Amino acid sequence: MLETIHILYFDPGLGAMIVQAIVAAVAGVVLFSKNLMFKIKSFLGIAKQEDDVFDDIDVKDSDIESKSHSDQ
Amino acid sequence: MTNNNRHSSSFRDPSGFIFVDRGTVKRSISPLYFEQYNALKDSGFFKKLHHAGLLIMHKEISTSDSEIIIEPEQISFFTYPYEWSFDMYKEAALLTLKIQKFALENGFSLKDASAFNVTFYKGRMVFIDTLSFDFYQENTPWRAYKQFISHFFGPLVLAKYSGAESLKLMNTFIDGIPIKMLSSLLPYKTKLNPFLYSNIHLLAKYEDKHNEDYKGEFKAARLTKKAQLNIVKGLYNYIKKLSLNETSEWGNYYDKTNYEDDAFNQKSVIINNWIHQQKATSVIDIGGNDGTFVRRIDQNLQEALVCDIDNNAVDANFRYTKQQKETFMLPFVFDVLNPSANIGFNNKERDSFLERIKTFAPDVSMALAVIHHMTLSGNIPFEMSAQFFASFSKVLVIEFPKRNDSWVQRLLNTKAEFKSHFDFYSIENFEKAYLNHFKLEEKLPINNSERVMYLFKSAK
Repeated sequence: MLETIHILYFDPGLGAMIVQAIVAAVAGVVLFSKNLMFKIKSFLGIAKQEDDVFDDIDVKDSDIESKSHSDQ
Repeated sequence: MTNNNRHSSSFRDPSGFIFVDRGTVKRSISPLYFEQYNALKDSGFFKKLHHAGLLIMHKEISTSDSEIIIEPEQISFFTYPYEWSFDMYKEAALLTLKIQKFALENGFSLKDASAFNVTFYKGRMVFIDTLSFDFYQENTPWRAYKQFISHFFGPLVLAKYSGAESLKLMNTFIDGIPIKMLSSLLPYKTKLNPFLYSNIHLLAKYEDKHNEDYKGEFKAARLTKKAQLNIVKGLYNYIKKLSLNETSEWGNYYDKTNYEDDAFNQKSVIINNWIHQQKATSVIDIGGNDGTFVRRIDQNLQEALVCDIDNNAVDANFRYTKQQKETFMLPFVFDVLNPSANIGFNNKERDSFLERIKTFAPDVSMALAVIHHMTLSGNIPFEMSAQFFASFSKVLVIEFPKRNDSWVQRLLNTKAEFKSHFDFYSIENFEKAYLNHFKLEEKLPINNSERVMYLFKSAK
């Protein structure tokens, strides 16, 4: 296994590491129900337009390919 | 090793450090981080981040067995989290989460989530800490989770309930707002929201419970990648929809001003002519609201810093900048009566506003409809405000509202029986003080108003 080096860096907080299991479960339920609500609203034609100022979380392929920057 | 010029803010991460080589910022990478760096480079992950505009560009300058040196794209003016408006702060938080999700999908993970890893550059928030990535290890929780909460999520939620002013707490808590304090500051109703409860209040409880446990048991904490992605996506969705409770629609400021349309246009023409005359490519507009006057300049500006004390104005400017994909505009929150100081270890981690603006050295500084607020609300004598502007301005465009201006009258009336203490507020005294620091180039009254525009040049 590749050795990670973050151990040297800072204390992530033991409580914060353990609690993530619960946080993730709550987030999972919230995501699931929001998704479901969105599907129902879309079906009924009452889904609201998304705020267009802030992007979506996904990095789209077009974002990566369209520009011709170089990092070397 | 090239560590003689190590930047004074670059010591937390042993993977490498920033140094300044004849005015150019470079990054030295330690052998400790070679494996990660090479993997990030060879897998094309850096390239993807660069192309998507998420991570600051860099080029590799040299490699040896003991050190790799890279040179990032140079950023001429840094803004810090405590200088961002609410929407800017949101954007920085969303960027961090977006990068973490993308990293996870590519086998990496952010090892830290400091708000200082992000800055506003060329019209958008960009991640600047190239060495923040580490390998993702299957079934491990996100090590930077707590840092994300104390640097991003916490301040944003606090701002929602207590106002955008609370984002300035980051000026004191440069390593993030303590979770326990965060939990105690938020209103009780946040405990009834399962999402806020788990991310803040429960986290505070767990941190409290385990804070004396030094056995390194965190290795035992496990979390699937899918679960971690749920945390990241959940936070993203929540933050994306987050808005200030106090929020008021911006855009009506210029309706409330006391001068007529033609006076407004005339002021704009004067500024435009002067900017042309000076062949300015960089400006700072202090008290620039939502950037209206800067956008009316038809000279091709490379960079325009537009700062204002009003969060809503800066938010409006930021949203406009983002929607129009402008790259020259840099909005930030700024209190002219209390500019950001040098802070952090040795008072050298984060530079003061004055230090940064002197380095940036704008061609023209603008202060429109600001001096009466500084003088009459802030009680700053003309001599002191002149000194302030002179410390970083080669050319100063300043608007002076005379004593009979309705705004000035309003401010004077708030002084009640002390009104006579402000008798010094006159155009003669203003000129006298400013001529101690500047040469007068031109002076033009704005018709049908009680206002006069000045073009001063530094007397240095």
